[in-house]
Amino acid sequence: MNTFIRKNLVLLIILTVLAALFIAAAQGMDNQDFVITLLRGLSVGSVTFLVASGFSLIFGLLDVLNLAHGTLFMIGAYIGWTVYVRPDTFVDLLTPFALTLSGFALRDVYPLLSAPKPVPARMKRILPWALILVSLLIFGYILPRYPIAIWNVENYAQSPVTYAFMTDQGTRLPFPVVAFDRISPILAVIGLPFASILGTFALSLFQRNTEHAIRTTWKSFIGFALLLIIALVGFIFNDTLTQSLAALNSNWLFFTAIVAATLSGAGLGALMEATLIRPLYSRPIYQLMLTLGMSAVGIEMVRAVWGRPEFVMPKPAFFDGAGEACPATTFADWWANKCSTILLLDGRVRVYNEIFIPLVGIVVLIAVWMLLQRTRLGMVIRAGVQDREMVEALGINVRRVFTMVFALGVGLAALGGILAAPSMGLSNVMGESLFLNALIALAIGGLTNYPGAALGSVLVGLMQQFIIKYGQIGIPIPFTEILFKPTPPLVPASTVLLMVIILLILPNGLLGKKE
Amino acid sequence: METILDVQNIHTFIGQYHILQGVDVRVPKGSITALLGRNGAGKTTTLKSILGLTPPREGKVNFEGRDVQGMRSFDIAALGIGFVPEHRAIFRDLTVEENLKLAERKKDDYNCKREFIFELFPDLKRLIALPGTSLSGGQQQMLAIARALVADNRLLLIDEPSEGLAPVIIEHMMSAIRQLSKETTIILVEQNFLVASQLAEQYVIIEEGRSVKSGAMKDLVNDKAAIHRYLGAA
Ligand SMILES: Nc1ncnc2c1ncn2[C@@H]1O[C@H](COP(=O)(O)OP(=O)(O)OP(=O)(O)O)[C@@H](O)[C@H]1O
Ligand SMILES: [Mg+2]
Repeated sequence: MNTFIRKNLVLLIILTVLAALFIAAAQGMDNQDFVITLLRGLSVGSVTFLVASGFSLIFGLLDVLNLAHGTLFMIGAYIGWTVYVRPDTFVDLLTPFALTLSGFALRDVYPLLSAPKPVPARMKRILPWALILVSLLIFGYILPRYPIAIWNVENYAQSPVTYAFMTDQGTRLPFPVVAFDRISPILAVIGLPFASILGTFALSLFQRNTEHAIRTTWKSFIGFALLLIIALVGFIFNDTLTQSLAALNSNWLFFTAIVAATLSGAGLGALMEATLIRPLYSRPIYQLMLTLGMSAVGIEMVRAVWGRPEFVMPKPAFFDGAGEACPATTFADWWANKCSTILLLDGRVRVYNEIFIPLVGIVVLIAVWMLLQRTRLGMVIRAGVQDREMVEALGINVRRVFTMVFALGVGLAALGGILAAPSMGLSNVMGESLFLNALIALAIGGLTNYPGAALGSVLVGLMQQFIIKYGQIGIPIPFTEILFKPTPPLVPASTVLLMVIILLILPNGLLGKKE
Repeated sequence: METILDVQNIHTFIGQYHILQGVDVRVPKGSITALLGRNGAGKTTTLKSILGLTPPREGKVNFEGRDVQGMRSFDIAALGIGFVPEHRAIFRDLTVEENLKLAERKKDDYNCKREFIFELFPDLKRLIALPGTSLSGGQQQMLAIARALVADNRLLLIDEPSEGLAPVIIEHMMSAIRQLSKETTIILVEQNFLVASQLAEQYVIIEEGRSVKSGAMKDLVNDKAAIHRYLGAA
């Protein structure tokens, strides 16, 4: 115990100072302000944590600084919004999306195909490129012609803004009807997986000779079969699925939106790693430029598809009750009326923003912690963060884990996006400030330390919210009559300041390991 | 004697540096072969080239009659090669038990081997729940060796096991390695010539990225001139 205190003395002193600051901050305001500010801080901290933890897992294991992480957070929000507000669009997208991905699920099968036959060297170099070109041409022909019911960014009455507003009011606009009139459905459904297999097979040709030791079994086909099933179900039962989703009550639909956004985020992450990131592991600078570029491209794509204007994500009924009995005064009361607000210590707390989000944050914190501590995958990740080469020397395919960790990290960011959407609203730039928050949180907590990411995120969230609150009520400077009111620009500045101070004292962050 | 590993004229580059410029190592089955040479000679790089961690650009690596050139490193290791890296590189954030479990290649590897491992290194048994960070240098080295024993390895590559350890611990380590060599073939990189000469039957001397001399250890021990010339030891 004594050695523990001696070893971590600086950390303990900093934590004590932070706790003292926190108590001092609490003394300066009423109970109700304090409760609200505290919960808001935890809420911002939770969303920050979802972005930060994924970023740090990816950086820790893969050494990739994924600068697109904030954009992926935003994309998660837009995907979730689409499932919630336009389930028809989501169902329409299922089939082409699953079919486009299907080829990737076959990557354990490709080495079998490429093993035999000596091919002339020049052919060997041209072949993959030719295949990729053909694959892209097929995609380019089919995808724009594939019928997907969507909003109209140009026309205000059918724009996402209007759809969001009407859904929020509780009335859905009718969904537009589309049909296969520019391409035959058979051609589309056969062409997409064909192009996908062609393209991914070509990508596999670029990789180092892998003919030995990969064992192809029926398991190598599971993912492919699963994607085909999803695609076919989405194709055949398109109307039925749309109608049952639209008829779902808003709580279940919201839950579906969360799951869909998280899974899509994970899928997007896996796709990114397999296609764009993987060829650049030996060139970190290019990787950095690539993720930065992808971030910009992602924002532009969202602008093109959903338009520039900001819009709302309606809250599900569970968190949206109003009426006589609201705000609720007890939890039983709240449960009975599903009030959107509840009174805690006289403070009017918004249930979704200030209670639900932190709860999800805690659940994810624990779930990922269990994954890291209790599973073999987690063990490989923790070992790989420290010494990737040695993990490989044990005979473990770390590269395979890379894809999973990238998927996990991006999935967490997307989850953060859809969770934050009902409280923040959707905008093209919603990822930027959050990404900055996350980076600061990681610097404070320790760049590749999982509990550190949580601690840093909470500190950043609390710091911001307390400064905002004091911007409203002011801080009386002792021995003077002056009431100091922090202005809004001080909010980001304060977290940066906190980061600088902590890094000056502990260069690796609060919980970061000394090298 | 049957050859388990045959390394022929490998050339390895790290970045643009031509580190190995022709290394031959021939390891007979069931013996200990010492890789000797000064600091920076290329001993560690030779081990990593065998495992494909720094894949050689030219030459042949043959393990149990199988050409492993161009295979991915984890596939090579999975064929049955265990690696004990220099500087006692265990996973510091994992507990002793997790370090061992991570090395499993089949589901029950650890459970099957634990008795044997704890017999060899009794200390580890009581440290099982501690994180790697809290182990002493000697204990870390034992763990690093034990980790290579969990899976079914027929060849062990051990890099400077005596580095920075107290004489008593070196004794213990040596008897452990000697015991292991009854069942497994071992390549041992060792700076301490006394240790190497007592353990190994064959030697290969590496100098500036080339294998310059090899043969039976008992001949080298008497060849004071060669020892002086290549190893700088008395
Ligand atoms: N990443 C690297 N970049 C450049 N040169 C390297 C790198 N790694 C090793 N080297 C060089 O390769 C040579 C051989 O290194 P290696 O580690 O194999 O030597 P060694 O014989 O194991 O030495 P020691 O006894 O000190 O462990 C050294 O000259 C070293 O400087
Ligand atoms: Mg070395």
